[in-house]
Amino acid sequence: MVEIENYSAVYQDGNHSLLALDRVTFSLNEGYITVLIGESGSGKTTMANAIMGLLPKNTVTEGSIRLNGDELTHLDDDSYRKLRWRTMAMVFQNSAAVLNPVQRIVNQVAEPLIYHLGIKKEEALQITEKKLAHMSISSDEMFRYPHELSGGQIQRTLFAMALILNPRVLILDEPTSAMDAALKAFMISLLKELKSKGTAILLITHDLDLAVKTADEAIMLYLGQIMEVLPARDLMQTLFHPCTVAMCRSFPTMDAVRDLGGMRGDAFYRYTHVHRLSDGKTEPHVHIAAGADREGGHAPILGCLFRPRCTQAVEECGRTSIQLTQAGTHKVRCVRGGIVDLLQLKQIKKAYGRITAVDNASVSLRAGEILTIVGETGSGKTTLAMIAAGAIEQDSGMRTFKDRTIDEWIKNERFSFASEVGIIYQNPAESVSHRFTVYDIVAEPLHIQNKSSGAAASKKRSGTQNEEERKKVLNALTDVHLPVEPDFLMRHPHELNMGAIQRLCIARALVHDPVLIVADEPTSALDPSVQAKVIKLLLNLQIEKGLTIIFVTHDIGVARKISDRICVMLAGRIVEIGPASKIINEPRHPYTELLIDSARGELIHFESPKSEQSVSPDGCPFANRCSRRVGKCLEMNPPCSNVQGQSHLFWCFNPVVLFSYDKKMRTDGEK
Amino acid sequence: MKMEGKELRIKTFLSHNTRRIMTYLIAAFLLILLGYYLPRVLPGDYVTAMYSQSQAIITEEEEAWLKAEYADKESFCEYIIALVTLDWGYSLVFSEPVSDLIFSALPWTLFLLGSAHLLAMIIGFIAGVEAAWRRGPLEKLSVGLMTFLEGAPEIATGILLLFIFALVLGWFPAAGGETAYAGYGMFRWGLDVLYHTILPFITLFFAYLPGNFLLARGSMIVILKSPFLKTAYAKGLPSLRVRYGHGARNALLPVVTRFGLRFSFMLTGALVVETIFSYPGLGTLLFKSIALRDLPLIQAIVLFSSLLVLTVNIALEICYRFLDPRVRNET
Repeated sequence: MVEIENYSAVYQDGNHSLLALDRVTFSLNEGYITVLIGESGSGKTTMANAIMGLLPKNTVTEGSIRLNGDELTHLDDDSYRKLRWRTMAMVFQNSAAVLNPVQRIVNQVAEPLIYHLGIKKEEALQITEKKLAHMSISSDEMFRYPHELSGGQIQRTLFAMALILNPRVLILDEPTSAMDAALKAFMISLLKELKSKGTAILLITHDLDLAVKTADEAIMLYLGQIMEVLPARDLMQTLFHPCTVAMCRSFPTMDAVRDLGGMRGDAFYRYTHVHRLSDGKTEPHVHIAAGADREGGHAPILGCLFRPRCTQAVEECGRTSIQLTQAGTHKVRCVRGGIVDLLQLKQIKKAYGRITAVDNASVSLRAGEILTIVGETGSGKTTLAMIAAGAIEQDSGMRTFKDRTIDEWIKNERFSFASEVGIIYQNPAESVSHRFTVYDIVAEPLHIQNKSSGAAASKKRSGTQNEEERKKVLNALTDVHLPVEPDFLMRHPHELNMGAIQRLCIARALVHDPVLIVADEPTSALDPSVQAKVIKLLLNLQIEKGLTIIFVTHDIGVARKISDRICVMLAGRIVEIGPASKIINEPRHPYTELLIDSARGELIHFESPKSEQSVSPDGCPFANRCSRRVGKCLEMNPPCSNVQGQSHLFWCFNPVVLFSYDKKMRTDGEK
Repeated sequence: MKMEGKELRIKTFLSHNTRRIMTYLIAAFLLILLGYYLPRVLPGDYVTAMYSQSQAIITEEEEAWLKAEYADKESFCEYIIALVTLDWGYSLVFSEPVSDLIFSALPWTLFLLGSAHLLAMIIGFIAGVEAAWRRGPLEKLSVGLMTFLEGAPEIATGILLLFIFALVLGWFPAAGGETAYAGYGMFRWGLDVLYHTILPFITLFFAYLPGNFLLARGSMIVILKSPFLKTAYAKGLPSLRVRYGHGARNALLPVVTRFGLRFSFMLTGALVVETIFSYPGLGTLLFKSIALRDLPLIQAIVLFSSLLVLTVNIALEICYRFLDPRVRNET
């Protein structure tokens, strides 16, 4: 229906101009809902206005917008006017100000009928009454003036107004900003109805939940550029671009379990202006400036716009201009093809003598992700985490980090690998030497690193090196909100409380700017209030520094608050792994369910272990305790299965099928 | 259902208006009170005024007798009763009933002021709306011109027009509202009146036009930026409908408010212009009566004109309620 191709728009504003859209290409199709997401100022509303031909007259535009093949950008005013509302209509961002304050709403809704179709006023009012009734605006309410209506009524009026001529293209600009839950449900059904009628819909929203529930395709805009195009159902689940990930992490859905993240840094607007050169030629030029400060630094036109806020940016990101490239069902504008896999463990096996600690575990970790490994004591969580950190060597299997084999890396440049990984050990008090001062504890990794490099072989460290080291230590301490007074630096651990020591351990792990943090039960020794602070601290560090974190805990409650993904281990095997919200709300493996139910204090499915039938070493490790056990559970380990269309994997022959919520309803009913 | 709602609305509308009218009645009473007392504290009196300019010499006795003769002996109560019975007393100067004087001057003033005011408002408003709609060099020029006109007082334009068109060119009459003793038929008389009115009319028109124009343009520019106008435009309505149905309709509100405010100054404007052109209206009458300290006449004119202003304001307020639904529910 509507095709937008390489469309750019620049708002003129004195010497500087705002580049609101930058070569945007997408299309709206019949019976298809496209959703535009992005922060405020990313150009969503500009796009909507551009399609409707409502941009200010002095806006400079480029590229084309076509409606059924007809170019719209060069259309004269009168032809455009006839197109508006008849073929394409728009629901404006909700506020009473978009309605004329001195006209009754029924007249405003009826207006297009009268002026576009030439229908008599009486008849038009009748049609309008029906339409408004459809939007549950009563015939009494429709004679009111805008200031006499509630926000929800205004929203429904705007809907009725947009739909009065049954347009084939409908643009919705933030339709849910003033909506309560009931109205939102109504709107979702309305959108579905319109979709089935073949209306092409462009939805602009902050509400990602609405986007997932209604839209077919999602387009992520950042500073006027499309960063990612993805199937809408992948929102909140499978995201490629760091920008989309940060965006989705910030959104509070009903099933999100992790604490809200955010995007680091601030939104930036881009200004283009033209430099006149001495030889009379002109040179267009882009600025990136924070907010209203238009005199910000001269940033190069090349490179990724999200780079300053991206957590996995590399040097290359600023060098080349980046195109949207196909990646599976997504299209991503990223040099690195979206979020990269930082760490991969393939079929890791590790045994301590006769005891198998880790059995055939495969995990991959994306950059900037928090993976929590949960499981009971002795399930091999710590071993797996330490193998990932390079602290323990596996018996067999492959592990790669930043696309390099870890084993080889360690063999050749042990210290260089060590500087990529920071480890926070289980017991803070025991993991620091009591003879060291605070400063020495944090500086120790640096000392070791320096010793490794040839220059420091001579024991005498130069002054500059000392200075640099001190700076790093102080930075690390600031990051974890510890004081940096000289007095504090000279303290010994026994003078500090447990929370401070744990922070110290975190600072030690951070001091050489690692990419990966492996935190082994970092909070189990802490009381809840200190634990909350430490968790907040880790989450914050993760957002600001883009750390990738492997978090080991036996407490699924903690895991729920912190993880992007959760990996459940039992007896050295991974039994279930997937997005945290899915694992918590819809666990598939009976063992996961058990963990969650016991964490909730509702052991409704716990039964005393079944008859001690011998489970073969190949059988499912949970078979003995499992209430859903079938015959083959004893003989062989279940193969990996996945929940359809999701990255949620589990190893079970007879998985839990009902969602935990429904299940609880049912069992409550039975009682 | 619908009717009920409507009836209710009318009911609240009425009860609200009775309250407003009560306030206006109190205001009117205060005006009458002031109209009674103020002229009495005016320095000077009719007798002194009459004889100070004449050659006649009167003795002190005669003066005392005259002053006693013309002194005001009416009490406030009697004054009110007289007011209600339209017995406004006799003019000292013209020896005619004051009511006769006022009602013979009133149509002239109403005709002159009404037409100038209304036309200035309508034309100024439309011009303002159009200027705001098509911003450009022409608009800038008109704004400059109007600002200049706004600065010129009617006393200056009046004298200038009188000098150029009546005295130098002789195209229009210099004084009066009609040709005296011409005995014209109805139609000729009408033309004659129009002919006489043109110069004072133009003076007043240009005094009122710039304010209306500038205000209409200013408020229209603000309205044009408002979101609902974008909605109207996006709906693909014809340009005229967008401009007047949505834009001008809202820009009208401040202009109407201004009309009410300006109406209070009407009489001062009339005083100057009518006096310059010797137009037989209320202004000229007032001017003469003040000059001669004709107390009953001053009193009546001041009272009458302030009551007129009050009435117009009531009318405008009611009118405004229809124009802007937002003020209807306010108390």
